[in-house]
Amino acid sequence: MALQTNGLSLEVVGREISGRPVPGKPRRPAGPYLLGLPALLLSSVLLIPIAVTVLAAFRRPDGSFGLGNFAVMGDRAALHAVGNSLAWVGVALALVAIGFFLALLSYRLPGVTSFLQPALVIPFAVSVLVSGATFRLIFDPAPEHGTVTAVFTKLFGSSPVWLGQGLFWLVLVSAFGWTWLGYVVSLFRAGLDAIPADVSRTIAAEGVTGWRRLRALELPMLRPITGVVTLTLVIAAVRVFDLVLIVVPGPMQRDADVLGLNWWRATSAGDDAGRTAALGVVLFAIVAAVAVIGVRGLRRRRWAMPVSVVPPDPSLRRPKPSRRVRRTGWVVGFLVSLFWILPAVVLVATALHSPQQAGLRGWWSTEGIGFSSFSAAANAGLLRALLSTVVISAIATAVLLVIAVPTAYLVAWGGLPTWLGRVVMSAFVVLAVTPVQMYAAPLRDAIGTAGLAGSRVSLALVHAAAGLPFAVLLLRSAFASAPPALVAEALQGPARQSAVLATVQRAYRPALVAVAVLEFALVWNDFIVGFLISGAGTTPLSLVLWGEARQFSTSAGTVAAAAVVASVVPVVLLLSFWQTVVRGLTVGSKP
Amino acid sequence: MSPTSRRTVLQAGAAAAATMALAGCSGTEDVLGLKRSVRIAVSWSSAELRAFHSVLDGLGPLDYPVEVVPLGDDISTAFGPRSTRRPDIVMLPQPGLVAQHLRDLESMPDDLADRGRARLWDELLVHDGTTYGVPFKTAHKSAVWYRPSVFKQVGVEPPKLWSDWLKLNRSLTRAGIRPLALAAGDGWVLTDFLENVLLGSSPPTYRALSTATHPRPSQQPAFAAALRLLGTMWSAPGTLAGGVERSLTQQFPDAIVEVFGYRRAAMVLASDFAEPVVHSFAADPADIGLFTFPSTSPGTAAPVVVGGDVMVLPKPATDDAKDLVRRLAVPTAVDPWIATGGFLADGRTTGYSPELTRLAEQLVTPGTSLQFDLSDRLGRLGDINGLWRVLTDFLVRIGNRGSDLVPDAVDAALAELKKVEH
Repeated sequence: MALQTNGLSLEVVGREISGRPVPGKPRRPAGPYLLGLPALLLSSVLLIPIAVTVLAAFRRPDGSFGLGNFAVMGDRAALHAVGNSLAWVGVALALVAIGFFLALLSYRLPGVTSFLQPALVIPFAVSVLVSGATFRLIFDPAPEHGTVTAVFTKLFGSSPVWLGQGLFWLVLVSAFGWTWLGYVVSLFRAGLDAIPADVSRTIAAEGVTGWRRLRALELPMLRPITGVVTLTLVIAAVRVFDLVLIVVPGPMQRDADVLGLNWWRATSAGDDAGRTAALGVVLFAIVAAVAVIGVRGLRRRRWAMPVSVVPPDPSLRRPKPSRRVRRTGWVVGFLVSLFWILPAVVLVATALHSPQQAGLRGWWSTEGIGFSSFSAAANAGLLRALLSTVVISAIATAVLLVIAVPTAYLVAWGGLPTWLGRVVMSAFVVLAVTPVQMYAAPLRDAIGTAGLAGSRVSLALVHAAAGLPFAVLLLRSAFASAPPALVAEALQGPARQSAVLATVQRAYRPALVAVAVLEFALVWNDFIVGFLISGAGTTPLSLVLWGEARQFSTSAGTVAAAAVVASVVPVVLLLSFWQTVVRGLTVGSKP
Repeated sequence: MSPTSRRTVLQAGAAAAATMALAGCSGTEDVLGLKRSVRIAVSWSSAELRAFHSVLDGLGPLDYPVEVVPLGDDISTAFGPRSTRRPDIVMLPQPGLVAQHLRDLESMPDDLADRGRARLWDELLVHDGTTYGVPFKTAHKSAVWYRPSVFKQVGVEPPKLWSDWLKLNRSLTRAGIRPLALAAGDGWVLTDFLENVLLGSSPPTYRALSTATHPRPSQQPAFAAALRLLGTMWSAPGTLAGGVERSLTQQFPDAIVEVFGYRRAAMVLASDFAEPVVHSFAADPADIGLFTFPSTSPGTAAPVVVGGDVMVLPKPATDDAKDLVRRLAVPTAVDPWIATGGFLADGRTTGYSPELTRLAEQLVTPGTSLQFDLSDRLGRLGDINGLWRVLTDFLVRIGNRGSDLVPDAVDAALAELKKVEH
């Protein structure tokens, strides 16, 4: 075949390629795999009990295997609980959507966030038990005592019984929303801020606006964050347990039943182990399905976008909005934060009243102000509880960091075959959302048999194991987001290693801080893991709260005081590190 | 937050942690949970729980750490077959469960066995000559607290008969006063009400039900009759303060506050242990009265329903646990709680407030129609998923809605009960 051009005659001489193309396969050293060993060991703390539960679910009382145990689903109460649990997952997804639009709103109205930030972080830092207690106080049916009831009585002469039939859902969902909405908004907001100005300018120049702009720009850009947010909220929705226990008055708890609660009542009442295991498996299947669909983004490479190590040129930032827009944003932000912080104000104000006055009058009353509620709470063993909680949280966090970092490194850069990486990531996603019910019973038995019952170290290890999947997912994306060249240099060239490591460290630090702070706060605020695994005695802080809160309104002062004391540490921790935590959680989505 | 201030926060945090560690340094093992502590499961909460802590503190230094595990209404979970993490001591408010769990329970040490053989307790705690528990706290469950000022205003006296009580309610309602605050949020308040009516109207049925191996209350005509009597009171329009909705959200302290704090109702059925709540929330400390449940018809004895918490030792019991039971069984051990109020010790009639002394004396008077709490003897039939739920539904059907609805509601309640019975 010849080609003539400009007086030149070119002849292409070619030879057919013979044989089939063989893809190169680098030799994979086995060494890095060792990095995953500790994680495997720690995860087996959960994996083995999960396997035991799954087996138990399919084992009939006579020892054969079959679906017989799932007949428990025909039970009306169990069905009702499944429905409620699904509804909670729905609430979680709705919160994600609402949070997204609020974030968009605040993005369009700059200035709002300056006040809003701390107001949004505080609810996230307190435990579900505390926010449940706070909302029960706010919605107390006595007009002298409950804020909302008082307002309604003043305005309309009478008020619905907010904790009564049907209406308690409002209280439950408000408490849940109050805890989580700030987290959702903050994360989405951080994601929106990270969208490169030139990209949004290009989109704007093409005349794409409104819904189409959302679909073309914001939704895809925020996909990774949506993954993280959905994952956390679904986990929280499935864990709803203590919230129902503390908010809903006894006679209505049957209506508010969730799978977790139903499972607990069934196991503790000594129902057949196979049937309760089947309940757990159903719960697990629901959640795993939601999680895998919801966080598809997590497994995509796309999640790992490089972090900007160099701060962007300030001239490229968004233009400063006009003064009027800023001032409006300011005022709106101030009002919204006032409203949002109100439950915390109610809690602190109630705690500052004497137990008598707190039980009789509302937080706005001027009588009986003092610290006597705090001393009453101290008499209930609060200080000792604090100490044990510090120990458990610290051990769990330390163990988690030591094990999660090498694992995440292995998954991100350890050169795992693609399929294995995918399997490992899916396993971690599923493990991250596994409800405690799946492993609680066998684990409890095992710990008891080993004679470690009551040991806070073993509880801390379980916490670390439960926190590991989420930590690895987060750290992996942080590691993966560092420019590959940097990593290669750090791995091979000893010449610039220290400099490179410093850069790498700067890129990873936020994710590490996020993992540490979140794990510490989660363990600190935990109720369900400790309660189901070790019984009430080993989850001291929430235990004290729970013990106090059972005769609710008359012990409002003590409950509030205990809640305030229990919340100080996580609130201070999260407020101090919030910026870093958000950066850590959204790393990988930065341009 | 700037790096410096963050460092300050961290330093402060570290300092605080260090202080706490120093403060608790003697109990490091204890904090780590490595030292075997004695775990006591209790059903008490808030003020009662604190009072129990003061009893424990009053025991002086012990060789072992003590951990209190409040299980509330789910106290029966302490015996759950899957809970290897069993408490070492259970303060069981449902002594009826003892008979069902004989295999899981350690017998009481010989020096304590006699304490379990006291009147009323013996049939609950002694099986085949072996004592499985020791009473810790006694409750008088037939007490009604009221405001004398309201009674005076309407010109009525505390009722001596059930029919007087119904009449009294009517006169109060006519005067625009809500007679009853009902703490339907606590299921046991509802069962206490029914038990008093049943014990007043048909002691033999009560007795038969509480001693039967497979009690079938739904088959007893006297049980249905008691439900009808109870329905007559609850269904009278204007009787329940705040209506049914509000009653269902009320726990017993809330109902007491309704009567004595907000003065929106005249009476509340609440046991002796309500005493501290009554005293701390009463708007007028002089306006507190107490009567005991009236008899159903002239000539019959007034019912006295007794409840209480017994100490039992799940197997295998450690020596430490036995030691703690021994210390708690010493009569003076409970003095701190008696001083707080709302505590009756078995067989003791002195050292209480005037109101509680009256109740304590009634408990030791020979010839009174004294019986142990029925629902606490029925096991699962008497608790959250059994009688509590049935009575809650019964209340929802009839409360404040007129006596026409009562017969149907009774039938519905019996049908519901039948489902739980086997």
